[in-house]
Amino acid sequence: MSDDPVSDLLTRVAAQDRAAFRELYAAASSKLMGVLLRMLRERAEAEDALQEVFTRVWLRAGRFDGAKGRGMTWLIAVTRNLALDRLRARTETQADEDAAEAIVDPTPTAERRMIALGEAGRIIECFDQLDPARADAVRGAYLSGLSYADLAARHAVPLNTMRTWLRRSLVSLRECLDK
Amino acid sequence: MTDTLPDDDDLLAAEYVLGLADAPARATAEARVKRDPQFAAAVAAWENRLGGLNDGYDDAPAPNLLPQIEARLFPVARLPKRGWFRLAAGAAVAAALAVAVVVTQAPTPPAVLATLTGAGLTYEVRSDGQRLQITRVAGTAAPAGQVHELWIIAPGAAPVALGLLGDAPLDVTYPTPPAGWVMAVSVEPSGGSTTGTPTGPVILTAEIGL
Repeated sequence: MSDDPVSDLLTRVAAQDRAAFRELYAAASSKLMGVLLRMLRERAEAEDALQEVFTRVWLRAGRFDGAKGRGMTWLIAVTRNLALDRLRARTETQADEDAAEAIVDPTPTAERRMIALGEAGRIIECFDQLDPARADAVRGAYLSGLSYADLAARHAVPLNTMRTWLRRSLVSLRECLDK
Repeated sequence: MTDTLPDDDDLLAAEYVLGLADAPARATAEARVKRDPQFAAAVAAWENRLGGLNDGYDDAPAPNLLPQIEARLFPVARLPKRGWFRLAAGAAVAAALAVAVVVTQAPTPPAVLATLTGAGLTYEVRSDGQRLQITRVAGTAAPAGQVHELWIIAPGAAPVALGLLGDAPLDVTYPTPPAGWVMAVSVEPSGGSTTGTPTGPVILTAEIGL
């Protein structure tokens, strides 16, 4: 056993271990459901997506490399990718409604808790070095799956301005996080 | 190392991970992840960097969807209860086990499991018991803006996407499907179906034989 139980389970799932697959569902489904609900904002679609996520996890577990990252990080990357594909496939009208919803979306409690407890360590420090509005835009993109258009509407700035904000913020973050 | 990648490309990887790209740009980036190891490494580096934000996701109790998930992935228990069918399935499982044993002893060239063919287009499906390899042996890839997507359908179950078929052979970690399962190819918009089921015309199908 390593210090990453999810990584150990993924290695067993890659070897077609069905018992490990069930343990993985028990260990990770509520976190991944949280990701899907936050991004897709509809319970029925989130539950449907969760089935698809675990189907992909069974089929793709062989691509996970425990030496390159943590198991939960990989699972959340698979989950976010699926949610983003679904979000970007929604029609323009839906996207506008999503953006409107996102404007009134209050900062969820977990983010406050994270900031209060400093659980995420270094990334908090690095976000603190950004302009607060830009840090908020990066977090909104990552956590809620907001597109450039959504973010531009949310912060009431032109799309190109938002693109410049985000790119500069990403360069600063990379510099700070890679230190 | 990602610092060998031009800065703009590394930012493209970051934008892809954040999810800022629209559907066509996402599809382009996804295709690049598959063929460009440097870009794939840049994407993985950004996934790890931004992974610190994952604490921002609240846990949400999930219903137990394992029965539905397992029915999609391992539908053997859902086979029709006709005698010959169960016998055939049993034989297929036995065959799969036999293949697996051989594989651990010495690598065997993957056997052709199914051939999907029609209208000048042919895909060959090979299996070594651990993975499937799908190769286009005749015809051309889908026209620009579209892609061929491979599906596996267990008896009585919904189709499950196995991957997108481009010019390179597709490698999927998947056990040898038993006899009676169907493989199909549909035409989807670039990036593949986003609904979890085929959205475009199904152009090829083949049933796994005994």
